[in-house]
Amino acid sequence: MIKKKAEPYLLILPALVLALAFYIVPFLRSVIFSFLRITQGGELIGIAGLDNYRSLFADRAFLSSIWHTLLFVLLFIPVNTFLTLSAAALTRRKRKHGAIFEFIFFSPLAVSLSAYAAIFSEMFRGRVSIINRIFSLDMLWLESPESAMVALVALSVFLDFGLDYILLLSAFRTVDRSMIEAAEIDGCGSLSTLFHIELPAIRNMLLVTIFLALKDAVLISAPVMLLTEGGPYRSTETIMYYYYLEAFRSSNLQKGRAISSLMVVLSALIVTLMGRRRNDE
Amino acid sequence: MMNRTIRIILAAILAAIVAFPILYAFSMSFFSIIDFTDSYAHFLPSTLSLRNYVLALSHRNFPRYIFNSVMTSTLLSVLRIMITIPAAFAFSHLEFKRRKMLLGVMISTLFIPSDALLYENYSTVAALGLLDTYAAIILPSIFSASSLLMLYGAFSSGSRYVYDAARIDGSGDIRYMAEILTPLSGPFITTILMQSFITSFNSYLWPLIVTSRDSMRTVQIGLAMLGFAEEGERGAEFAAVMIITIPFLVLLAAGRRTIMKALVNPKED
Repeated sequence: MIKKKAEPYLLILPALVLALAFYIVPFLRSVIFSFLRITQGGELIGIAGLDNYRSLFADRAFLSSIWHTLLFVLLFIPVNTFLTLSAAALTRRKRKHGAIFEFIFFSPLAVSLSAYAAIFSEMFRGRVSIINRIFSLDMLWLESPESAMVALVALSVFLDFGLDYILLLSAFRTVDRSMIEAAEIDGCGSLSTLFHIELPAIRNMLLVTIFLALKDAVLISAPVMLLTEGGPYRSTETIMYYYYLEAFRSSNLQKGRAISSLMVVLSALIVTLMGRRRNDE
Repeated sequence: MMNRTIRIILAAILAAIVAFPILYAFSMSFFSIIDFTDSYAHFLPSTLSLRNYVLALSHRNFPRYIFNSVMTSTLLSVLRIMITIPAAFAFSHLEFKRRKMLLGVMISTLFIPSDALLYENYSTVAALGLLDTYAAIILPSIFSASSLLMLYGAFSSGSRYVYDAARIDGSGDIRYMAEILTPLSGPFITTILMQSFITSFNSYLWPLIVTSRDSMRTVQIGLAMLGFAEEGERGAEFAAVMIITIPFLVLLAAGRRTIMKALVNPKED
């Protein structure tokens, strides 16, 4: 009898321990510690209240990292949405030879982060770069703030392209056929069917994709590290890259904890909004 | 007719953009040193030779990086399935005190991005004395709330009769999970294994932080540390890029439909 009672708990134990040890506890520790005064050596010397947050928001580098992240999000979301949606819309009907396009639009899924980062560094490297040759330009892409941001956005679009495309394509393919056929019988061209029937029908999946992209974009750090290292002149330092620098390079743990607490709240907010959309479906 | 032509042209332009970086990397993987240092950027290599691939494969650490990545990603996927199945089974088939609350706690981790816990998790792993081990690389991500949620949903929608019948036949819960539940939920389990493998293979920040010895680096980190660029052998760097990319491209080409189904909704099988 005792064994029976303990069984469910034993079954969930490994998962529960890991969830607590690597999510719940560190999150709580991060939030609680962010309100305390702790020395570099890890010694607790009192309550800080909002002091850690105050000094964070007084830090110009942090404020500009917010701006860089915002700029990144504002560039990335529209470009990413437009390109993945176009690709999905163009290939939404199964056709002869359509498989080739489908495969190409899927293919970014096979290329890992650092592989793309290495390729993009080379594509944008120096004056004699392939991008300059294709567009007949003479730019040092990664050496000026604006163009480095553009390169970062381009890299990020490729990183997310495969998955977003799959999500949108399968949304298109689950749209009720009879609605599309009815529209076509009524003389709707394929473009007006797309805008009046199919896009409204996949609206929720589109929003879910946008929220997913938004969450990734807000938390972006690894592509920054690999492509620009925050440069030039710290112009591509995003919030999470700044967090990494503060926590691991400058050992400014208290500042790091304040950032991580804020970012958990922000991303939880995005996930909640996304969950609403998903439930509406 | 007009529409069709425009559609194909647009799709072709977009496809060309999307495919360009991979094709260019493939081309560069054959570049000789001179192709990189010329006064204009080359599209194609001036000579064809497998020298870069030989260089990449005979690199002191590159094969080891690949081995580490494949090992950690496989271990992570398998362990994730092994802890998620029993948990999802317990939550969906058994009654116990605090069931709802415990499930809620575990699902709530969906809202916590692990990237924001980098430092706290690092200090945990360091305190356990696990730095520079496979355990350090995989431990924090073995549990996944989304996998639990997916299996919980799958197990809950299954029929209770099968479970009751199995119980009457005297089959224990462990046997029921291994012999009935797991095969019945095949598509979901494939999805989780595949997603876990891809995410783990691609992870960058975490393995970077918890490893420092060369022999423990994963390929994502190692790729930037091969040092080919410093020696002027850029071509070899892209040969390395292609070596880790081509297997995935082949898998994708072979199982496109399965992968699409698995990544989107395994329910429709």
